[in-house]
Amino acid sequence: MIFVSVGLSHKQAPIAVREQLAIAGDGLAARLARLKSIAGVHEAVLLSTCNRLEIFAAVESNAIVDDLLRDLGELAAPHAVSRLGEEALLHVFRVAASLDSMVVGEAQILGQLKEAAAQALALGASGPHLSRAIAHALGAAKRVRTETEIARGAVSVASVAVRLARKVLGNLEGRVALLLGAGEMAQLAARELKSQGARELLVANRSPARAEELAREVSGVPVNFAELPALLERADVVLCSTGAREPVITRELMARALKARRFRPIFLIDLALPRNVEPQVNELENVYVYDLDDLERLASENRVVRESQLGRAEEIVREELQAHLREQRERAAVPVLARLRQQAEGIARAEVDRTLAGLELTERQERSVRAMASAIVNKLLHGPTQRLRSEAGSGPLGDAAARLFGVENGAATGIPATAGRTAQIGPGPNPVPPLPSPAPDPAPGPLPEPDPEPAVLAPPDSSGHSPTDPSPARPGVLRLLQPGRGRR
Amino acid sequence: MATALVHIALFAYTAGAVAFLGWLVRPLPRFVTAGRVLLFVGLLLHLASFVAAHNGLTEAGFGSDVWRGGQLFSLLAAFVVAGYLALDLRYRMPVAGAFVAPFTVAVMVPAHLVQSRARAIAPELTHSVALAVHVSAATLGTAALALAFGLAVLYLASEKQLKSKHPGRLFARQPSLELIDRVGYQLAVWGFVFLSLAIATGSLASRESSGNALPFAPKEAFAILAWALFAALIQARLVAGWRGRRVAILVVAGFLLLIGAYAGLLTAAPHASVVALR
Repeated sequence: MIFVSVGLSHKQAPIAVREQLAIAGDGLAARLARLKSIAGVHEAVLLSTCNRLEIFAAVESNAIVDDLLRDLGELAAPHAVSRLGEEALLHVFRVAASLDSMVVGEAQILGQLKEAAAQALALGASGPHLSRAIAHALGAAKRVRTETEIARGAVSVASVAVRLARKVLGNLEGRVALLLGAGEMAQLAARELKSQGARELLVANRSPARAEELAREVSGVPVNFAELPALLERADVVLCSTGAREPVITRELMARALKARRFRPIFLIDLALPRNVEPQVNELENVYVYDLDDLERLASENRVVRESQLGRAEEIVREELQAHLREQRERAAVPVLARLRQQAEGIARAEVDRTLAGLELTERQERSVRAMASAIVNKLLHGPTQRLRSEAGSGPLGDAAARLFGVENGAATGIPATAGRTAQIGPGPNPVPPLPSPAPDPAPGPLPEPDPEPAVLAPPDSSGHSPTDPSPARPGVLRLLQPGRGRR
Repeated sequence: MATALVHIALFAYTAGAVAFLGWLVRPLPRFVTAGRVLLFVGLLLHLASFVAAHNGLTEAGFGSDVWRGGQLFSLLAAFVVAGYLALDLRYRMPVAGAFVAPFTVAVMVPAHLVQSRARAIAPELTHSVALAVHVSAATLGTAALALAFGLAVLYLASEKQLKSKHPGRLFARQPSLELIDRVGYQLAVWGFVFLSLAIATGSLASRESSGNALPFAPKEAFAILAWALFAALIQARLVAGWRGRRVAILVVAGFLLLIGAYAGLLTAAPHASVVALR
């Protein structure tokens, strides 16, 4: 089974294309069902956000990529990028860590990917392979966020303003915000303040009609601009964006209001040009004034910090990807071990039964003979088991053991032996190069029992379980595989 | 036994301080977790050391030589750590841990590793309840005010960064000004209450031993000044709504006056030990 990703993002397609491709919530189930119905697609997750449309799938062969591209539609095909194997996994890890996002370090993608994976699983489209990969990618993303400063600080003027307001006032719940003027950016910041729990949004404008209209737009309360001194006593955050040529809030006005409000702190965000707040207002105690220049500078500083963290973030993502691949290979090594042990135990049991049939032993003596046979099997297999596990399916020992002991090697790697590759697909400027044929997928051997999948995002049932699942070890089998277990 | 426990506790506090300072350099959550766990373990061992020393104290009396000056500072350090852990549990303030943990080590090292001289206590005070309440209240009050002082310094630093519009590297990890101000003020109020109790019971103990309820000495003068300053601060907050920077400056000044009282305690002549241990 091969892991692939097919899709496009803001890097490949303009917004005019992306907005036509976006999948609405109610269309997701049908799209996933259609994907799952493509022959050779074992598992699929569909990620549709305003910046990307991506299919992550576990498929039978590389050729399925063409079918996935067709499924994306003609509009998407010229822009779509397909990735195979390790590179596809790396892409998922990078997407989760928001290294592929328009705003590097943004947190939204984490939730979106988690939601997409959960939905696909609930609808029966996803399965253990994708669930494990995405769960690991989400874990890596969390590590990136905690171990680097990639998510440090806000990078837009409105969010910088809101973060600063929180730094001064703490929790914004129950706070009162005052919007002076009708500037676009101030409206944006006002909406963000409201979403952060601001209790009341007062909207003042020199024109009462405009104030009412604006108040409707931002779910605020229209107030009289002439009552500014009284409004400054009430408000905790003030957003200024009037077209006034002279400062609207002067030092004297603010000083009076400050005394009346018993020195409760107030945060003034001045997004107007020329400025609405006299610069000297910032000299007053418990009054904090930030203008457009300050906010722009902080946003740009934060962008620089985030970019400086990219190297370390990429490093973490690659470390986690390697850990995931190692885990995959370890799972792939399990079938040979299980069959080898099963065969050896079967032989020992048969021989003990045959020997005991011709002897007259007490129950205790019989138990001793069986225990001795079991101990011989364990001791003989202990070394090979350890070496096969340490090789983790990546070397030749798995096949050699299978051939030597005459057991089938049913391990499907989940990752093709070839390195991943990216291809711009479709009739666009970068035509589809012939895709490499996948690594030979060895036929799965008959296993004692299918695996009830122990994936992190567990499917509701095991119906979606592939017969080539490289994780067939039942808990019991796994226990038996522990070196030393069952020995006398 | 008690000494061994204190030394292990001191080791845990030091490791906790390193973890918190490490967090300042690299904001890994595991540094904070390690710091919290180490401070908590250190505190448990530290308290256990007091329990281990308790028997001797009960027999000899609270004002006896068993209870040396160094142990007062040790108790103060334990209260500061306990106060910080309680605050951290409620408000999540790892940045304050980076102040508290080194402070604790700085108080503990001279208190335990340097041999403190025994102070002769007036015989009439050996079993004095007033002296016991005085010492407990003074230590609790100082611990609360030490935490308030730490938060006041943090407030002034954060406020300066916000006003200058050039937030530093640690800015993102600092609590909001509102929270620092609110918690700092609450601690100052608690500190004031305990300080009032300490001064009143100290006066009683002084009268029991020397007949003079308010002897004039540097320690008393500094303690009264600190008390007056905190009283003024609370009055200004309640009546005029003072908050923020000016309150933080007053808390810093008040705590420095209190340090003056402790300096008075340490520099008092051995024969003036009645005063010294009050």
